This record gives sequence, C-alpha cells and structure tokens, in this order.
Amino acid sequence: MTEVASHHAPAPQTSTVTDLTLVSNRSAIDAAVRPAVVSLFLSGVAWLLLSTLFAAAVAVKLHFPSFLNWSFLSFGRLAPAADAAFVYGWCSTACLGVAVWIIARLSGRAAPGTSLVSFGALLWNGGVLIGVLSILLGNQRPFNGLEFPLAAFIVMFAGLCLVSVWLAITYYSDSTPSLSVMFVSGGVAWLGWSLLTGNLLVASHSVTGVVQQLAATWVSSGALWLWIVPVILGIAYFLVPKVTGQPVFSGPLGRSLFWLYFVTAGVISASRLSGGPVPLWLSSIAASGCILLLVPVLGTVYNLFATAKGATVTTASPSMRFVLFGLSVLGVATVLSAISSLRAVDYSVHYTLFDNGLRALLLRGAASMVLFGAIYYIMPRLSGCEWLSSSLISLHFLGSAYGGCMGAAMLILSGLASGSALNDADSNFSQVLELGNSYYWGHTMSFVLLLGGYFLFAMHFLLMAVRIGQPAGEPTLLNSHHEH
Amino acid sequence: MSRSGSFFTGLFACFALSFGVAVLAPHYQIGTLIPSFKEEDGVISDVYPTAPGGNAANGRSVYISEGCQACHSQVVRGSESADIERGWGVRRTVARDYIFELPPVLGSTRLGPDLANVGSDKWRNEPELDKVRPSKRDSAWQFLHLYHPTAVVKGSNMPSYAHLFEKRKVSGHASLDALKLPVDLAPERGFEIIPTADAKALVAYLSSLNRSSPLKEAGAVAAVAPSKK
Ligand code: HEC
Repeated sequence: MTEVASHHAPAPQTSTVTDLTLVSNRSAIDAAVRPAVVSLFLSGVAWLLLSTLFAAAVAVKLHFPSFLNWSFLSFGRLAPAADAAFVYGWCSTACLGVAVWIIARLSGRAAPGTSLVSFGALLWNGGVLIGVLSILLGNQRPFNGLEFPLAAFIVMFAGLCLVSVWLAITYYSDSTPSLSVMFVSGGVAWLGWSLLTGNLLVASHSVTGVVQQLAATWVSSGALWLWIVPVILGIAYFLVPKVTGQPVFSGPLGRSLFWLYFVTAGVISASRLSGGPVPLWLSSIAASGCILLLVPVLGTVYNLFATAKGATVTTASPSMRFVLFGLSVLGVATVLSAISSLRAVDYSVHYTLFDNGLRALLLRGAASMVLFGAIYYIMPRLSGCEWLSSSLISLHFLGSAYGGCMGAAMLILSGLASGSALNDADSNFSQVLELGNSYYWGHTMSFVLLLGGYFLFAMHFLLMAVRIGQPAGEPTLLNSHHEH
Repeated sequence: MSRSGSFFTGLFACFALSFGVAVLAPHYQIGTLIPSFKEEDGVISDVYPTAPGGNAANGRSVYISEGCQACHSQVVRGSESADIERGWGVRRTVARDYIFELPPVLGSTRLGPDLANVGSDKWRNEPELDKVRPSKRDSAWQFLHLYHPTAVVKGSNMPSYAHLFEKRKVSGHASLDALKLPVDLAPERGFEIIPTADAKALVAYLSSLNRSSPLKEAGAVAAVAPSKK
C-alpha cells in the first residue's frame, strides 16, 4: 500500500516545496512524450467520431434497411467496420496514449526515442485504416470482433511493438510495480501476445474448423477484457489517488484482485459460443469464469471508490466524474455478463442484440468514459493550459453518459424481448424480430446524444491540442462554486 | 529474478493458462476430427462432411465478403433451444460439421434466421402450416429474395443486395436467368435484371448448406419436432 501511495504525490493544489524537483522532472517528461501522446489521442478522437457516425448509420439501417445501402456501406460491412474502428481505432489508440504517459510519469523518466512511439502510433493507425477500408471493400474475416484481414493486424502489430519496446525501456526497473503499472502494462503485453498468437494460428491454418472461431474469439474477447478493461482500471488506480490526494484504500487487496482478474478474464472467451459446436466443458468453464469475474471487478471498483471516499473533489473534477461513472458502469456490465452466462438466460439472449448491448455498455459506457477522464487529466499537463470551458465538459459528460447507456439499454431490452420469443417455437420468427424492433428508435435516438457529446469533446480537444485554453494554474472544475 | 521479471512471468502464466484452456485443449479435442463414413467390405460410403467445391466455394467467399454473418448464424443448438422446432435443422450442429471450413462462418447475431441448413428441402422459417410459407425456395426464389427481399417476404428487414445483379439491355431473346420480377419492380421495357457471377455463386452456396446428415455425437435426428423442456 505504501509504495503505491508514494507514487501519488498530493494533488497540485497542495504541492509543497519538496515536490519542486519532482515537478520540474515531470514537466520534462511531459514535454518529451507530448508529440507521441497527443498524436495518439488525436487519432483516437478522429476514430471516435468516424466510428460513431458509422454506428449511427448502422442503427438507422436496423429499422430502415435501404438507408445508405450501397455495397461498401451495406449492413454486413458497415457494422463490423464501425465496431472495429471503435475498438482498435478509438479505444486502443487512446489506451496506448494513456499507457505512454502513465508509464513515463510513474517511472519518473521517459526513454529517449519518443519519435519511435509516434512512428508506432502512425503504423497502428495505418493498420486500422487498412482494416476498416478492407472490410468496406469486401475483404473481411467472418469472426465477430476480429474482422480485419491479416495484413491490417500485421501493420498494427508492428506499431504496437515499437510502442511496447519504448514502454519497456522506460519502465525497466527493479522496484515492485504499482497497481497502475500492473494493469496498464499487463494490458499492453496481453494485447501484443494475443494478437500475435491468435492471428498466426488462424492465418497459418494451424487450427481449423470451429477451433479457428475459438482462437478468433479468444483474441477479440481478450482485446476487450484483457486489454481495454485492464488499462482503464490502471488509469483509475492512477487518477483516483492522484486527484483526491488519498492513498489507495488497499494495495494488497488490489494486487490479489489483479491476479484473480487476469486468471478469470482469461477463460471467459468461449461464453460467446456457448450452445454452439464447442466442447461442453469449455462453455461451463467460460460461464463460471463470467460469474467469478464479479469478484475481481466489483472488488477493484470497491477498492477505487473506497479510495475516493470523503474527498470533496470527486464531483467537481471532470476526470473524477468521468472515471467514477465509467467504473460504475463497468460493475453493472460485469453483473449483466454474469447473469447472461447462466445457462437458462444464455439460451434465450444468445444470438440476440443483448450481446451487442453489453458490448456497447462496456465500450461506450465504461471504457470510453474512463478514457475521457484520463484525457481531461493529461492534456492540461501536456499543453500547459487548462480546458477552456467547464460547460463544454458537462455537456460532453451528459451526451456521452446518457447516450452510451441509453443506446446500450435499448439493445439489451431488444435482446431480452426478442430472446424470450426466439426460444419459444410457438412464436413466429417475424414476431421475434418485431419484438426486438420496438427498441430500434430509442437506439437510433441515442446516437444524437452520443454524436453531440463526442463532437463537443472533439472540438474542445482540438483547442487544447493547439494550446488554446485557460491559463494554467487553476484546473477547470465542473461546479462553479469550486472555482475560486 | 527482478520484481518486474516475476510480474511478467506471472502474467505470462495467466496468458498460457488462458490459451491452453480456450484454444489448445479444444484443438486437441475437436480440432483434428475426420469425416464420418460407413465401411462395408472395404467400400467406403456415406462420407460426411465433404470439402466444399465448385461454385458453392466461391459463394462462401461472397457470403463472407458481404458480411451476411452479421445477421445470420449457421449454428443449430440442441433441444434446450427452439432452433430445431423452428425448422432450422433436424439436429444440432457439432464441430464435425465444420471441419472443412476455413474459416468457419458461425455468426453471432440472428437478425435473420439461422442458415445452417437453408439448402435442405425441409428448412423453414415459418410454422409448418403457415399460409404465407413459400411453397418452394428454389434458386429463382433466392435470387428474387436477394435482389429485393420484400418482393417475396412481406415486411422483411433484410437489406437488398441489388448490387449483385446487373441491368442489361435485352438483345434478341430474354436471358434464361433474367429475374421474373413483379410489375412494380421490373425494369423499363427492353431491359432485364440478371444475377452477376457473384450472385450465382452465392445462391449455389446457399443451396449447398445442409447439415442434416446424421452424426452420432449430434444425437438423434428429429423426424418430428422433439418434445421440448
Ligand atoms: C441486416 C441483417 C441482414 C443481412 C446483412 C442479411 N440478411 Fe438475410 N435475412 C435477414 C432477415 C431479417 C431475414 C428474414 C426476413 C426475410 O426472409 O427476408 C433474412 C432472411 C434470409 C434468408 C431466408 C429467406 C427464407 O425465408 O428462405 C436467406 C437465405 C438470407 N437471408 C440470406 C442472406 C444472405 C446470403 C445475405 C448476405 C448476402 C444476407 N441474408 C444478409 C436479415 C439480414
């Protein structure tokens, strides 16, 4: 616990003279990583807007099948392109940007060669672009969450390697890694290892038939649960103590939960294939994993909320508002995932939009919110000024929080409604579809909120990237009475 | 070992465990299956499944490239589900059904019906006695459905795949494979709509989809709807 706390010097408002050397070192680190981190965030935000526009069009297509129905924008291509651009474009580049900054900050140094990181970011983005264009032009793999063709992943992987090497050199030390470092570097390592192993296996035909699907699902489930989720937990372990100025509630608890998390999240991938042509024991392990996962996720979320408890800054600080909201949604999503893994529930909601809803909840309601929180915290340090407007931040929060949860809820409800009918042979298939259809309007409307919120954020971010903001010193807080 | 060294060793152990459970062990169990067959007096018969070939194999690529799997699964689940009663198959599908599929197209969402057996005569997506049930889903029906789903299925939510067809000037006699469209969809006089090679391959693939051959691990083949629950 103590070594964790020691990484987290008191919040800036209370900095003392002894921190001065640390602070000057910090600004040197910030200056060194700025180009790499800002370009990762910038590309992430571009992907966020593009993929959300795509997703909005997909939402409309659900009830108006002829909307934008050109071959390259047809449902079967646009839907996977939207999802992949969100996961590998927005979430992953933002996670990489945060990883670079947090690891440098926590290691107290930035390895030379940050231009390698920028080049890695360029490669990663190039790979994602190749992937998205390939899908739209008709070259996709039929694996949910791993539709990019191999070529895209090769380029992305090369970029990831460059970033990881830099991270490893920056981090290399003999000290016990802090919780934040554990989650962030654990996520980065898992992404690299699984992208490499899974793609090699599938592309080389070392595994065939259903096992190809198992391998692909293992990669795509890992990209969500063992890359993006760990990074956002790592962000929370960094930001919550930092902003509140309070040490992590329990370091030892956090560590045990870390290991439990990585073991259980590692075996849940096959739950998305349960009921299908996969070994029964595998489905059972995966389903038990989904339930057991409640312990490390809810435990970690508890640990973080207990850390924040009592601090007055939690509602006023934009990063805290986003991070704590995202963590709560993560808890809810994990509970839903556990419930849906119960055999009886799974048999009805499987193959419906329930799964898509859960994914949207995790990606938009949880991960994106924490990532926004991190960007709100990091950018002022990189740009040397504070965010221009607290109302823009509030509007962004409202749009992305309500939009994300509403969209996910509509898909989940649609899945529940059509699922119970799907599993009842007395209801005609067209009735099954109709039951689900009633939620499509709500789902489509949620994109108005999402796009509005994301667009405001993108504008605000661009201003920040060119250092247009309030003078440094007082952080931009959300409640005006806190702004002395 | 340094502390960060033991951290990454621990992490790699988690990774190896995950890979072992989710990929490697299933590979040894279901990854090396061979087709089932009968052998009598040295004569081998009833081999199932067989490697897809001909135009159906091309059609499989069109299916994947168009992303049909975004809305259609090709998995029939067992009797805990209603899949069999719906008419989507006579038995559940098992790993052996997919051994020649590189890659398999299982699909994960059913915004449309399951297509694991859509090429079989018994396949249906309506109750058996439904009045609007098409009498025959032959290739001509499939072409019409792809070209304009609502022309054959009222209120269909499936997008049109008109880009797999081309409009051509009739030269001399009308082509044999020209679509027989209802008046409101028919092109102007002197023109006809004919399927492209991709559309033909796709329909050949759909017609080839039939996973009804009995396999012992798939349990009994349902002649009638099995009792549920
Ligand atoms: C947006 C989701 C969606 C996509 C993408 C989609 N379908 Fe469908 N499909 C449906 C729906 C909904 C139905 C049920 C209504 C109907 O029969 O038209 C259906 C029905 C079908 C049927 C069964 C028709 C019958 O009653 O016999 C076939 C065959 C089919 N689709 C093939 C395809 C093929 C091939 C593709 C890709 C080129 C495709 N679908 C893409 C939604 C979709």
